[in-house]
Amino acid sequence: MNGFYEYVKMAVQNIRANKGRSFLTMLGIIIGIASVIAIVSIGEGTKNQMNSEISDIGGGQIYIYVSSEGMSEEVWITPEDLQELRDLKYVEGVSVADSYNGETLTGKGTFDLMVTAEGPDAKMINNADMKYGTYFGEREVEEAKPVCVISDSDARRLFGTDDVVGMSIDITCYDVTKSFRIVGVTTQKENGTFVSYTYEGMPVNVNIPYSSMNELVGDVGYFYSVTIQSDTSRDSQKTANEIIHVLEKRHQCAGDEYFQVQNFQDVMKSMNQMLGMVTAFISFVAGISLLVGGIGVMNIMLVSVTERTREIGIRKSLGAKTSSIMLQFLAEAAILTVIGGIIGIILGIIGAYGICSVISVSMQMTISPGISLSVILFATLFSCAVGVFFGIYPARKAAKLSPIEALRRN
Amino acid sequence: MSDTLIKVEDLCKIYNPGENEVRALDHVNLEIEKGEFVAIIGQSGSGKSTFMNMLGCLDVPTSGRYFLNGTDVSTMKDNQLSVVRNREIGFIFQGFNLIANLNAIENVELPLIYRGIDRKTRHKLAVESLKLVGLEKRMHHKPNEMSGGQQQRVAIARAIAAEPPVILADEPTGNLDSASSKEILEILKKMHRSGKTVILITHDNGIAAQARRVVRIMDGKIESDTINESFEQEEVL
Repeated sequence: MNGFYEYVKMAVQNIRANKGRSFLTMLGIIIGIASVIAIVSIGEGTKNQMNSEISDIGGGQIYIYVSSEGMSEEVWITPEDLQELRDLKYVEGVSVADSYNGETLTGKGTFDLMVTAEGPDAKMINNADMKYGTYFGEREVEEAKPVCVISDSDARRLFGTDDVVGMSIDITCYDVTKSFRIVGVTTQKENGTFVSYTYEGMPVNVNIPYSSMNELVGDVGYFYSVTIQSDTSRDSQKTANEIIHVLEKRHQCAGDEYFQVQNFQDVMKSMNQMLGMVTAFISFVAGISLLVGGIGVMNIMLVSVTERTREIGIRKSLGAKTSSIMLQFLAEAAILTVIGGIIGIILGIIGAYGICSVISVSMQMTISPGISLSVILFATLFSCAVGVFFGIYPARKAAKLSPIEALRRN
Repeated sequence: MSDTLIKVEDLCKIYNPGENEVRALDHVNLEIEKGEFVAIIGQSGSGKSTFMNMLGCLDVPTSGRYFLNGTDVSTMKDNQLSVVRNREIGFIFQGFNLIANLNAIENVELPLIYRGIDRKTRHKLAVESLKLVGLEKRMHHKPNEMSGGQQQRVAIARAIAAEPPVILADEPTGNLDSASSKEILEILKKMHRSGKTVILITHDNGIAAQARRVVRIMDGKIESDTINESFEQEEVL
């Protein structure tokens, strides 16, 4: 096709000669593509943010609790149960989390405490990052050491600094006061957006070995729940059933369904379902913008080609073949849609970042747009296809007319 | 026979076939030889414009045959007709039919582009034909920057640039003042003198009288076909 260059040149000439019309045509494409990219990117960004916060809760964690029907001492979970569960080969860690309200007095004043009595693998279960010191472990639990772990932000609230390893907190629970040495400071996870949130006035969290709780509140010989970190390569449902089987065997209550499971993968599953709905909604909105953009492109193309029927007639009378006319309009539509498409992609990405940063600032969260190549490609291809089709189709119709008929139209 | 450029046999064009049919052309027979200057005259509604469209391959006849340069074009397909229009016929329309956003030389180059002539040759031919109509100084003007007479001269330059054997002028002076009309007719005569076959369609007896041969059309039929003796004299002078 050696004449192709001629048609491109013709097309460029026409585009430049009709700046207003060319701009309007491109505008339809720009808006169509930009809005889809922006909407989907913001939606995906929000979804990713929710997703990462949910997966922070923990994969492979199984939470087993004693149901309300099982409120008798025979089925409460004992430290020996914990030990046995801990020895199972598919169990990587076991912890409990019994919380008690307490208070403490430091140089900064009196603070409400949330004292959480935990098991030997609390660090793993809590997915804790240590900033200073270490988390307590098996030995501290066994020996009922009066030690504790707090977060850096709570440390700052209590002492004004977070490098507090070695300092002590006097914890008062039920009128009994006992001093606990701080052995570790964790890095407070950044304020989650959807899942967890801390603020001034919330109690200070102090984590201690459950055995050392005994001196404050009497003998803690049993628990109502236990959190197990299982081997993630195994089916968590199967692991949970096996753990329940072990517990039921130990408490001789097989089949009574006293032990209930809540595993976080189930939670994640339902969360993901929710996210799926969010995605569906985003896609729906995106589809509508794509449709609206497409209709815009279609209209402007139909109008601009139809009003050029006479030009088509002139060209045909001078010897243009139908295919020549089509090539010219194809080149025009392609140039317009490609330029419009590129501008649309750029504006869409800029828009997505802009809106995400506005949301991030105004709602104090961090959402970065989830820009996906497939969305960009799909939106661009769709708009371009609509643009090119409605750029060529009426041109073809006009070119198929006898030249005299095309010339007669004005 | 070898000099016959156009041969029309029993040409019919019927609009709205059926009860309200309009016979715009009713069994027309005509032969035009190479180098003739023919005026086809008729009142509006006589069928002369339809005839011109047929001669120019802008429309296809309902029945009959049309030989152009020895080839039967009455049965040709759309794309073949495009080629015939491009190579055999140069059009001059009443309404100029220039493309508004192209300048004079670009308009003249159009048929050459469709013929597939390379850029350099194209430019040379376009400049030559613009010189021939006296517009070498207006080559880069757009149609709306020129007078009607100048626009029609651009159209003539466009018609002759590709050196087609037939120049088909449909009321070329219809939209022009008398001074411009005279200019245009002079150019057409010049074309004829240089050996081109010129067919002029008009409703104006005065203009038709400038041609050597006058074919009068009425109600879709050829009413008369006369040789204008005074034309020869003018040429001798």
